[in-house]
Amino acid sequence: MRPVNSTSKTWSVGRELPSVSKALTQEKIDGYARASGDFNPIHVDTAFAAGTFFGGTIAHGMLLLAYLSEMLTAAFGRAWLSGGRLKVRFKGVARPGDTLTVRGRVERVQDEGWRLFMAVECVNQGGQVLVTGDAEVRLDG
Amino acid sequence: MDIALLEKGHRFSPVSVVLDEAAVHRYLEAVEDAALPALCRDEGQAWAPPMAVAALALRGLMEAIGLPAGAVHGSQEFEFRRPVAVAERLDSRAWVAHRSQRSGWLALAVEMEVTDEGGQAVLAGRASVLIPQ
Repeated sequence: MRPVNSTSKTWSVGRELPSVSKALTQEKIDGYARASGDFNPIHVDTAFAAGTFFGGTIAHGMLLLAYLSEMLTAAFGRAWLSGGRLKVRFKGVARPGDTLTVRGRVERVQDEGWRLFMAVECVNQGGQVLVTGDAEVRLDG
Repeated sequence: MDIALLEKGHRFSPVSVVLDEAAVHRYLEAVEDAALPALCRDEGQAWAPPMAVAALALRGLMEAIGLPAGAVHGSQEFEFRRPVAVAERLDSRAWVAHRSQRSGWLALAVEMEVTDEGGQAVLAGRASVLIPQ
């Protein structure tokens, strides 16, 4: 089955994926904690987090990956859910008050355009890279 | 479980996971994902967000490990083998793939596989975690 939003002709090396931006708040981090069941105090306990190396609460890494996944779902539809691969490193932390942007770019194309390799990242309002990595989709999956 | 005693090859007890409609709704609201609902409308299918499946499997794993509050998520890999339907029953299995100690930190890499009721993999992943000692 072909993915909803993509054909092999749509994507070429250098093309940027439509980016996604989110304004992060403590309420959103708390909401993610409730949805995921991850109540690690570094995310939800401001008094605890203030006394740690981070000096305050930070977002769950998996919340940032959810933003990346939204971008990849919007770009590739079913192909992302069925055969998508993501490999990332966490380079920095996202804090309440940050504006986060996830973006991606096609780096390599194989199999006559049906297999795409992308560089993806999540940056904050200052341009600091918080998450960096690679994603792969098969458009004929 | 004492993290200090976890050896490479240790297998965690399997965890059953289900993302029902309410849990998916809660998740989509929390992450403000508009793309998956649009895809579901287009296809007439109720798919679970792939990263929600991953997060649920990871939660079970992290609970089993009993990570201390100072633990840091270093890297993450996922492969989504097929879409997962809302309310589909899944099993998550995980094992320690790597273990090392350096400069007061314990580095653990845990690999996981999530399978459907037929035993077919729907998701595979690897998480690297740094734990202060």
